[in-house]
Amino acid sequence: MSLKAGYLPGLQDDDVEWQTLSYERDGPAIEVSVPLLSHRQMKALSGRIKEASQRHLKPMAVSDIAATIDTVIARLLDRSDPYREQAEEYLPKITGYDAEMVRLGLTGYLKTFRLSELNRFLAEDFVNPKILDEFQPLPKGGYGKAYGPDLLAHIWAGNVPGLPLWSLISGLLVKAGNIGKVASAEPLMASWFAELVAEINPTLGQCLAVVWWKGGDIDREQALLNQADLVVAYGNNDTLQQVRDRTPITTRCLTYSHKVSFGMISRAALDTGKAWAVAHQAAYDIVRYDQQGCYSPHLFFVEKGGAVTPQEFAQYIANELNCFEEKFPRRALSIEEAGGVAAWQQTEEMKSFSDENSTVMSDANGAWSVAYSEAEDNLAPSGLNRTAKVISVETLDDVPARISPYKAFLQTVGIAAAPEELRRLADLLGTVGVTRISALEHMTSPEAGWHHDGRFNLLDLVTMTEVERSAETAAEAFSDYVD
Amino acid sequence: MTEAQIIETLLDFIAADSTSDDQFNALALQIFAYQFENNVPYQRFCRQREKTPRTVQNWRSIPAVPINGYKDLTLSCCDPESAERIFMTSGTTKDGVRGKCHHPSLSVYDASMITAFRQRFMQEHASLRMGILFSTEQTMPNSSLAHYLALALDKFGSDGSRYFFNDGGLDSEQLFAELERAVQTGEPYALLGASFSFVHVMDEMDRLGKTVSLPEGSRILDTGGFKGQSRELELDEFYDLLEARFGVPRGQCINMYGMTELSTEFYDWGNATCPSVKSGPHWIRSQIVNPLTGEELPKGEKGVLVHCDLAHFNCVSSILTEDAGIEVDDGFLLLGRAEGAEAKGCSMAVDEFLKAAQG
Repeated sequence: MSLKAGYLPGLQDDDVEWQTLSYERDGPAIEVSVPLLSHRQMKALSGRIKEASQRHLKPMAVSDIAATIDTVIARLLDRSDPYREQAEEYLPKITGYDAEMVRLGLTGYLKTFRLSELNRFLAEDFVNPKILDEFQPLPKGGYGKAYGPDLLAHIWAGNVPGLPLWSLISGLLVKAGNIGKVASAEPLMASWFAELVAEINPTLGQCLAVVWWKGGDIDREQALLNQADLVVAYGNNDTLQQVRDRTPITTRCLTYSHKVSFGMISRAALDTGKAWAVAHQAAYDIVRYDQQGCYSPHLFFVEKGGAVTPQEFAQYIANELNCFEEKFPRRALSIEEAGGVAAWQQTEEMKSFSDENSTVMSDANGAWSVAYSEAEDNLAPSGLNRTAKVISVETLDDVPARISPYKAFLQTVGIAAAPEELRRLADLLGTVGVTRISALEHMTSPEAGWHHDGRFNLLDLVTMTEVERSAETAAEAFSDYVD
Repeated sequence: MTEAQIIETLLDFIAADSTSDDQFNALALQIFAYQFENNVPYQRFCRQREKTPRTVQNWRSIPAVPINGYKDLTLSCCDPESAERIFMTSGTTKDGVRGKCHHPSLSVYDASMITAFRQRFMQEHASLRMGILFSTEQTMPNSSLAHYLALALDKFGSDGSRYFFNDGGLDSEQLFAELERAVQTGEPYALLGASFSFVHVMDEMDRLGKTVSLPEGSRILDTGGFKGQSRELELDEFYDLLEARFGVPRGQCINMYGMTELSTEFYDWGNATCPSVKSGPHWIRSQIVNPLTGEELPKGEKGVLVHCDLAHFNCVSSILTEDAGIEVDDGFLLLGRAEGAEAKGCSMAVDEFLKAAQG
């Protein structure tokens, strides 16, 4: 089976060099053709996107853009739509994730981009979203209007299906022209989204493009960076450093690096009636996309003193992971990934030989693994792919001090605690750099309008043009009606 | 069996021209029983896997200790205090902890090294004039490689063989003079050292615009690869460079694959093509396994190497490495370290975290 990724307005297929990415998991191999633009083609494409953005997108009302996105999303939510059918069929085959998990994940994720949610998204960042359409009075005096960049370059990474839609939709909402570079691990979803936009609103379709190059192809990356007005990049620190270093100094570069997230379970949640459900929720967060997301938990700090001990809770999680393996089996791992899991598991096992209060519970086939420790372990990532550590603590209040050295890497905390604890801990966690606190079971599905890594998804993309009060006042002197 | 009996049996085993599968299996099981009895942390490790000398009937089922186990556990049958020598893993591992391998006597280690080195590196030569691109044993008493190279020079180096490393590092002036001498005399020459030392030498040669063409029969032995070094070369590039700079055909450039956690080394028959097929002598056997389940993989599938080295009798004979490999006819292809892959999403992986956290 052969598929095509990329979306290139103004270019014919024959104009472009194509490469083939092959995905072989269980069953027949799937091939995806991806476009490889020359330096000249990238520059020309950038020029067209900028022009289309200026001509068509900037005069368009935000509400019209949101309405188009809503229609696109409705199509992608409709299980009988050909695009949705493709997504359900091929995304699991390309990423290896369980098909049912992908299906449920897509629906949950896409729902956060319906019209009402898009409006929420806008309202989160702009007190008055009309400021994207026309000059609006500012509280300090004068008027202001927010402008999105003519060309926003996105450099995406990873295989979590659909993640590129976040920044792509953000870009459209602020009327940016967009060129997104998809990752080889999942090149399709952004391409389909772009095709659908063009199908529903051909004018808007001229304002975005989806391209590809092999990660590390500095030359092609530079071609796009040189043209962009603003860059949004995802990836590991090394990759991001390179992108930032090559972005012209006059171009802003927003980077989203890899993060570590974790869970916290209060003794209030550890009574015999509730602990199973909490463990089920924690396990769900581990299972979703096999901990590949920045919001996925690596470990759980569990408070002592409840009816269910932290060690028992670790067993509960292990049991739930075992059940999930039946329902949503883990994707097949590459030998490198399996090595990562094995190395983590072995390290934890070795610790358990010298520390009798440490244990490791693992599936015989290596499908999941839970380590338990009472040691003063600090934050560290797990082996990923359904491996997690439970660390028992005297009180959850001790946790912020233990994670504070890792401020730069923290993102989500999934929490099970009583209301007054939640409030107290929220402030302690915010102080040490945690940017998102959710319920367990929701760690991997941030709500619409969330502030990714604590930043403003839309506000960070715009520049303000302000007409100060002095200009208004001075203009009065030159009016026809001046006395 | 006592330690003395094991040593005696092993020396005979190594000295034998070849041995049968059954003989290997029988001795592997005897040594496993010895280690199970005398190496308490290993016994705990085996019991956790529900494996004991009673239940294990085949060397393939002997529990293999992950090499990083040496960092957390003291895996020695003899009293560690009484060891004649302790070899330590390099201190460059991610947490800085060095694993230790205790050797109550070096007799087996040395016999293993000498026998295999003669077969695989010396081949038709009884001795060769050698240059060593590594530190001496006196400078690095805990380095198994320093001991290995010292043995090579002592047992097989002809008069004039010497080290080209001193306190200040590589003594390139002396080395180049020696290489010139070899060219003049036409006497085959052997250059041995860490892979990365060769890179340094070749960088220096590049700077000086220097190449030599060593006499026919000359050979090169490199070991260690480039992991964790400031510069990583592709294998093909590396052997091309060796051939170009020293005039030693790639087929005479032999790579030794060894590790502190073993007492036996693997060799290839030259690197005319990469990756080359590696194999070891009759007292070591390898399996390719799935690192997560430990299950042996079918021939041709990529997995992680497990070695069962009878010569490593005092610690544990069976180790699970972090090296990826593929079984082929007559040995295995070594594919480098199976590093924990980076997450495919935006989650952070252990290696990346350690790197970032250490600044």
